Amino acid sequence: MDYTMEDTQNSAPNAHEASKLGASAQRNDTQGVTKRLQSELMQLMVSPSPGISAFPDADGNLLSWTATITGPSETPYEGLTFKLSFSFPNNYPYSPPTVLFKTPIYHPNVDFSGRICLDILRDKWSAVYNVQNVLLSLQSLLGEPNNASPLNAQAAELWDTDQDEYKRHVLARHRDIEDIE
Amino acid sequence: MAPDSSICAGRSHIFSSVFAPASFGDPLPTRPLLALKNAADKSSLHHESQLPHKAAWDRAWRLVILFLTMPDAEFEPLVRVTEMGEAEFLRLWNRYKKPSKETRDAFNYLAKGSLGDAGSVYGSIFDWYESEIRRHFMQNFKGTLHLGAYSPMRESTLKLVVDCLLLMRRIYFSPLVEYMLPSLHGPEQEKVFMRFQCSFYSMVGYAMPWPQVADKLARQFINSGHVILGIKSLEEDEGEDDDHDSDGADVDTMEVDKQYSMSYQDWRDAPSAEARTRMMTDGEDSKVTTTREDLLLLLNNLQLVGICGERAQSVFAGVMDSMLTEFIRAAYSGHWEGPSLVSLHLRQWIEDVFAQLVVQVLAVINVSEYGVKESGQLDVQLGDVEKWQEIGIARLGALRIGELFDVIVEWPASSGAIEDLRHFTTHPAARHHLTHSFAAVLNRRLLHPGASTVEILQVYISIIRSFNLLDPKGVLLDRIARPIRRYLRDRDDTVKAIVGGLLADPTDNDGRTASSSSETLVELSAELSKAHQNSLRADTGELDWDDMNWMPDPVDAAPDYRKSKSSDVIGSLISLFESKETFVREMQNMLAERLLQKRADFEQEMSVLELLKLRFGDNALQACEVMLRDIFDSRRVDAVVRNDQGMVTSPGQDNGTPDLHAKILSHFFWPEIQGQPFKVPEEIIQLQQRYSEGFESLKQSRKLTWLHGLGQVTVELDLEDRVFVEEVTTWQATVIYSFNSPNNESVTRTTAELASQLEMSAVLVRSACLFWVSRRILTEVQRDTFRVLETLPTKDPASDDNNAALIGSSSNPSGAGDTSNAETAAANAAAAAAAAARESAEAAAMEKMNLYWQFIVGMLTNQGAMPLQRIVMMLKIAVPGGFPFSNEELREFLAGMVSRGKLEIVSGGNYKIVR
Repeated sequence: MDYTMEDTQNSAPNAHEASKLGASAQRNDTQGVTKRLQSELMQLMVSPSPGISAFPDADGNLLSWTATITGPSETPYEGLTFKLSFSFPNNYPYSPPTVLFKTPIYHPNVDFSGRICLDILRDKWSAVYNVQNVLLSLQSLLGEPNNASPLNAQAAELWDTDQDEYKRHVLARHRDIEDIE
Repeated sequence: MAPDSSICAGRSHIFSSVFAPASFGDPLPTRPLLALKNAADKSSLHHESQLPHKAAWDRAWRLVILFLTMPDAEFEPLVRVTEMGEAEFLRLWNRYKKPSKETRDAFNYLAKGSLGDAGSVYGSIFDWYESEIRRHFMQNFKGTLHLGAYSPMRESTLKLVVDCLLLMRRIYFSPLVEYMLPSLHGPEQEKVFMRFQCSFYSMVGYAMPWPQVADKLARQFINSGHVILGIKSLEEDEGEDDDHDSDGADVDTMEVDKQYSMSYQDWRDAPSAEARTRMMTDGEDSKVTTTREDLLLLLNNLQLVGICGERAQSVFAGVMDSMLTEFIRAAYSGHWEGPSLVSLHLRQWIEDVFAQLVVQVLAVINVSEYGVKESGQLDVQLGDVEKWQEIGIARLGALRIGELFDVIVEWPASSGAIEDLRHFTTHPAARHHLTHSFAAVLNRRLLHPGASTVEILQVYISIIRSFNLLDPKGVLLDRIARPIRRYLRDRDDTVKAIVGGLLADPTDNDGRTASSSSETLVELSAELSKAHQNSLRADTGELDWDDMNWMPDPVDAAPDYRKSKSSDVIGSLISLFESKETFVREMQNMLAERLLQKRADFEQEMSVLELLKLRFGDNALQACEVMLRDIFDSRRVDAVVRNDQGMVTSPGQDNGTPDLHAKILSHFFWPEIQGQPFKVPEEIIQLQQRYSEGFESLKQSRKLTWLHGLGQVTVELDLEDRVFVEEVTTWQATVIYSFNSPNNESVTRTTAELASQLEMSAVLVRSACLFWVSRRILTEVQRDTFRVLETLPTKDPASDDNNAALIGSSSNPSGAGDTSNAETAAANAAAAAAAAARESAEAAAMEKMNLYWQFIVGMLTNQGAMPLQRIVMMLKIAVPGGFPFSNEELREFLAGMVSRGKLEIVSGGNYKIVR
């Protein structure tokens, strides 16, 4: 520890330089993220897809969004709307956003605190994905759960065995977010 | 008599018991006094032997008093002294006659007696005379002088007053000096004289309060100073300049006149340095000489009557101070031509003229209160003159700062003024003052909505150029430019003006350099090519360790100050915007507009693009590059396609089908081009299809999309009595095409009909029709109904009734009437075209609003109900490029959405999406 301190002092100019560089790089990054998110937002607005929608939160830095998806027809989720929160990391799009269901949902791949098990939000993430892709994937996930790796084992089992019971669970769990607030 | 003498004796006893006994020193030796004694003997002297001189004293006293007493008289005679004659005047005041020998002896007697024991029983004759003077002054003159002091100033008042005071002084002092003082010893003489003088001064001072006198004195100084320092002649010159120019006969006299001149212009024009040095000193104007003499005489007199001295010096100093400013203003304001010699001229003027006057005046008034001149010390030292020169330079700087805005506007004809400022801006405080006051002026005179963007840019360019000269380090410019840049960024059309200027043709059709009009910044394009030449010179800047001319940044530079590399005009303007993108986008738009014109070559655009590439790098301008290449490629492609499709018509041969040429634009690289959609004539559609086929066979996997709204058509209209040829827009051509008829009958159509047939907006149709009305091809039979004018109606008034009635001109269409008709029609067409343009702009705005609607929907869906304020705020954050509408406009828009059932207003005025 002491040695590193001393080192830092001796090599002060360089370290300083480096930190400055780092800082500027960081800033550029944030700018890049903002730019990227802005263009994604624009894209969503110019060519909206039915059933999905997203918008930045009011904190003004564009790094957290709220999204809304409506349940696809001919699934237990038909007619329901779900709110999600997006939180983008500083190195987006090189890392995936953190996506959570804010609306309580009964689904094999979503746990009770809203966390989602979806490969493209984890190891299969790629920089070419964007908010729209993620939302569309989630929408299709509602109709076609991945029961191989469930977070909610009961739901996974019910999905395969008793669709009516499943739907009852879905409706029982669902609350409009405005009602919760 | 006896009781008298006893009383006298008693009295003298009493006196002597109080005061020291009177002793006259040695017994009076002279005979006249003895005679006096004898005369006195007749009265009491023989009784009172202990006071042997009493009688003589009394007699002498009486004689002297008789001689000295001045009759009381009004002030009037003093004023009239010149008409009266000196002798008369002196007689009036009892000053004419010479004292008799007796009187003279009496003087001597009294004078001697008064010495040594000033407090003698009989008092000193000098004391008496002093109080007599005082009494006389108070009684006769004081009132008038007082009035004079308060009277309003006239040119001569001060002189008059001083003359009168001089006369008084003469009345009072002449017996003193001539007869009384000689009877005293040398040092005593001086002492007594000083006493009288002091008393006289205090009386005058009492009668004439200093503030009033100072005021008059100041005016006197100002009047004389104006003449002597040359300010007056400068002001007159200014007024007469026009006269001089007009009559050439005066030239000779002028030259003689100008031998002696304070004018900077003349000085500058002087042939040699010697002539310059002589100009201000040699051959002084007679007027100046007399004024100078008058002033010095007056001051001398003032000094004599005691209203001068230190106090006058401070008045003088104050006046000279303002004179300096005034001279600088009169001599140099508006003289901005470079190279500037103003500071040299000013220094010389201060040394030769200003300092000279000061020396002359101070020689008179720089004496102590009691008239003793301190010798051995110069009134004005060389150091003082230098200090004045510095002050003068500072004043000059202040003048130039006041003029700076006009100087900049006049740039580059005003480089001299900037040079003058360089002498001034050596001090941080001065630099601060400069930037501070100039910024204030800019705010007042430039950065307001009344100034057009081009004007502001022009001034900014001048500021950049002139401040680069003023302060090559750029610190001042940095400070001044900030508010301008901030303001320019807020203007919507700044980019447009800059790009337009860059692309403008620096030489107009005649080949001479076009002056910058109020519309475009032509000089920008000139600057661009010039700047390029400059940039070829190596400039390593601060990193050039071998630079022997290196200078540190000025002390008042901000700590983070760094001379920007883009300190030249183009760089500054381009760096106005945070990113190059704004600039490049506008460049694309402007370029698109220009490239779509029908022109043989685009050399100007090419060279501008090349020069800009040097600045921005190739990548940023790639799109523009592609655009240019598109235009050149399409020329080749066009030839090939037409050849392949057999669309080429040899010259001479006219098969009735129109020629179709196309410019092929790469959609991706061109900006969004707004154009009104409409249906082109069938014939053209067929041609277009053939063309497209040709193109697609030439370029695999590429497709043509026709932009009908752009382009030009050469129209040839074959009317009954004339053939009309003109190049018009495609939509105008389309409209007139639909009036086509195989046989020679006039076709009549309404705009509504045309609009539906051509799938064109009604406004555009009307605009096109009005255009043709202005060309006298169509006529508006009734509102929105147009008919072809197959024959011009000049010969036959009857057939023109409709037309005339419509246009509201007289029913007798003379030649003048025709042109006015055509003009009105042209104006109508222009108005209609504007309306069409507005309509398309409105459509575009509506389209934009649709986009914003998407944003609002997204916002309200995801973030829940929101009040208007918050919606506006979020839109400002989220919409790229900002949200251009005001709260009110948005409120109206949202209200519309509420009424259409897409939104609802919930509690607290929040807007909510209806599910």
